[in-house]
Amino acid sequence: MATTTATITLSSADLLSDELALTTTSTLTQTGTGTGIEHTTGLAMKTITSTAKATASGQVVLYTADDFAAIAYLYIKNLATTAGHKIYIYDDTTSGDPIQFQLDAGDWGFIPMNSDKTYAAYASNNPTKMEFMVLGKDQ
Amino acid sequence: MATTTAAVTLTSDLLSDAMSVNASTTCMKAGTTADGLDQLEYAVVEIPTGDEYDLICSTPTASKASKLYVKNHAIDETYFVAITQNAQAIGRLYGGDWMFIPADFHDAAGDIAITSNGGTNKIEYALFHEGTALTTT
Repeated sequence: MATTTATITLSSADLLSDELALTTTSTLTQTGTGTGIEHTTGLAMKTITSTAKATASGQVVLYTADDFAAIAYLYIKNLATTAGHKIYIYDDTTSGDPIQFQLDAGDWGFIPMNSDKTYAAYASNNPTKMEFMVLGKDQ
Repeated sequence: MATTTAAVTLTSDLLSDAMSVNASTTCMKAGTTADGLDQLEYAVVEIPTGDEYDLICSTPTASKASKLYVKNHAIDETYFVAITQNAQAIGRLYGGDWMFIPADFHDAAGDIAITSNGGTNKIEYALFHEGTALTTT
């Protein structure tokens, strides 16, 4: 069985009166079990050229609904280096295409996402590069 | 200016070669690289099964930056909390899972709520932000 881990470190020397140093590691498992995940899309780097939600072209589809079973893990990073060059991740399955995350230049995100929805990205600026990966159990 | 760094490392032996993905970001206020997020809400709560808890219940204000970290400390791998944003499901944290998302939680669609399932889930969360509109009692 493969072992896949995700570790986050949050640190600051001057936000609080004492140092903030938080580190936690999660082993990524299939939903509701102790069995490790088995599949990944691999790390992808793509360029977004769309600056509007739900337009026909230029957006990047991060994940298509039901590709993976139950919960899958999404990692995403905005590779832009200019502040204010945002990437917007929205739910393309739900009515109204609600925006769920906004990543400014250099931001990254990681979430065990609902696997029954399609997620897509557009950006505030054309072009904007991003990298992303989905981990879970294919179905 | 406060400097707060968020880093992630993903490792796996799923592939024929070892995978290691690293990313790090300094948590900045909206649209700048010169001024870091300087406010923090950090808490641990135990949520009985079936209960819903608002992690963020904000009033719309001007666009601002926020980063939300949530971890489920439940040991039972069947326990989970469902995460919703503006009443739309966005994910689930099973026992041991964590999430980190950057977003503008200060707009009208910014409410984040969690619902406990399977048993009592112990949740740790941290919201790094640059100001909220406090709710009047």
